[in-house]
Amino acid sequence: MKHVFTVRIGPAGFRVGSDWRAPIRALERLYAGYPAPEDNIPDFTVRLFAARPWRHWLRPSITLGGDFVLPEAAPLPLSQGVLAAEMAMNLQMAMGQRRYLLLHASAVEREGRAVLMTGLSGAGKSTLAALLAARGWRLMGDEFALIDPASGLVHAFPRLVSLKNRAIEVVRKALPEGRFGPLLAGTPKGDIQHLVPDSRSIARMGDPARPALLLFPRFGFDNAERGLGPSEVFVRLTQASTNYVALGERGFAAMTRLVREVAACAIDYPDADAAITHVERLWATL
Amino acid sequence: MIDETSDRSPEPGPGTTRRRALMLGAVGASAVVSIRPALAQTQASVINCEIPVPDAGRAGSYIAADGSVVPAGTSGAFPPASLAFKGDDVKKALAGGQLPGTTYEQNQAYVKYIRRLQQGTSGFTCFASLQMPRG
Amino acid sequence: MAERLYRAASAETLLIEPLDEFTLIFHRASGLTHLVAAPAPEIIAALDRDQISAATLLERLGTRYELGDASDELLQARLDELVAIGLVAAL
Repeated sequence: MKHVFTVRIGPAGFRVGSDWRAPIRALERLYAGYPAPEDNIPDFTVRLFAARPWRHWLRPSITLGGDFVLPEAAPLPLSQGVLAAEMAMNLQMAMGQRRYLLLHASAVEREGRAVLMTGLSGAGKSTLAALLAARGWRLMGDEFALIDPASGLVHAFPRLVSLKNRAIEVVRKALPEGRFGPLLAGTPKGDIQHLVPDSRSIARMGDPARPALLLFPRFGFDNAERGLGPSEVFVRLTQASTNYVALGERGFAAMTRLVREVAACAIDYPDADAAITHVERLWATL
Repeated sequence: MIDETSDRSPEPGPGTTRRRALMLGAVGASAVVSIRPALAQTQASVINCEIPVPDAGRAGSYIAADGSVVPAGTSGAFPPASLAFKGDDVKKALAGGQLPGTTYEQNQAYVKYIRRLQQGTSGFTCFASLQMPRG
Repeated sequence: MAERLYRAASAETLLIEPLDEFTLIFHRASGLTHLVAAPAPEIIAALDRDQISAATLLERLGTRYELGDASDELLQARLDELVAIGLVAAL
């Protein structure tokens, strides 16, 4: 791999090797301010490579490689290099993370306690996290929340926030001073633009927090709220975890503790403002 | 370990408390739901992971018979594998099989290389996942 | 006809966490997690460390609980489910 980029995001160090300079340059720009892998030893490796020699130059397309791959994954055009790197890095975490219980959830922190928001794609995890960060919450992550089985604390994984389609405009309006990556139109997931977490969130990426609220948001419905019992939360969270089963007993203990100790609520919301109001109101009642 | 709400009550007799009600016909078809892994974490993840020999950072280097990485062209050492090995193939090789497309000696060298993988080297997390009893 | 005897998985292999109307059981031997509702946890508890027939088990349950729908068929169905996932062994 001619071009190399390394970065640490939360507790995970990555090495991205690329056949092209452009994606590496874009990653260096967007991740400026992030630390290097600890001891310069990455935990996960990602490769962006040309599957056939001519794919380097002719309609250049990026095939994703790394410790873990999805052989059926379609290559991406060179212009979507940052997206390719993000997808590959996500996959390494989803498949290879063993130290922490991994939840598909966004997380924001205030005064040492965290709200975790989880749900299907499109539920609004990333958007809500970005908007709450705009209102002073520390952004811990928009895609993965890491639970330490020993302590029960949530650890940050503040990757670039991935905003899709209409969420892009909503967040750009709320964060006029924000640092954004290039607008990637027409990707397999629609229009995508990345938001760089603010410098405070980056600086504090090593600080864990105590989970205090589990939210299951649903976008596009009238305002509604329903408290959830621990067994329902347990089942939902195991479905939102890529490594629960692989962690075995540690995973069971971590998940059980989480559902026992943390309040959980399903909220429906019609628009982002309503959601933010709802979250802040719930937080105040804790 | 015992269900907190179950009674260890003695034989009922005059003056003892009433027993808790229990229905044998479970609500819904079954009393048991087993947690199934979400799609991303099925056993297929083992098959989908890859281990390059040697790692990307030392692409082009040769593999000595003892599994260490040596400069290209070193006499007695083996050239790098042209394609990264799939997790499934590595798992079989670790159990005594042979990596696809290798001679006996090449396979020995490559397997020794794989067994020496350290954290931070590409392929390590794949190798580590093969060691776990599940996924 | 010899009666089948039933025995619960040994206490050391089960991590049991009652939550609400459901109880979580982590089975160390399989690494699997099961969510069980009444009467499964009660059956496992009633089996204790013994090997007993379904008929004896039904009697035990009837002693400990007020069984609204005591029947061999229903108990057998519940036992079969637990045997299928390995929390109870049929001998």
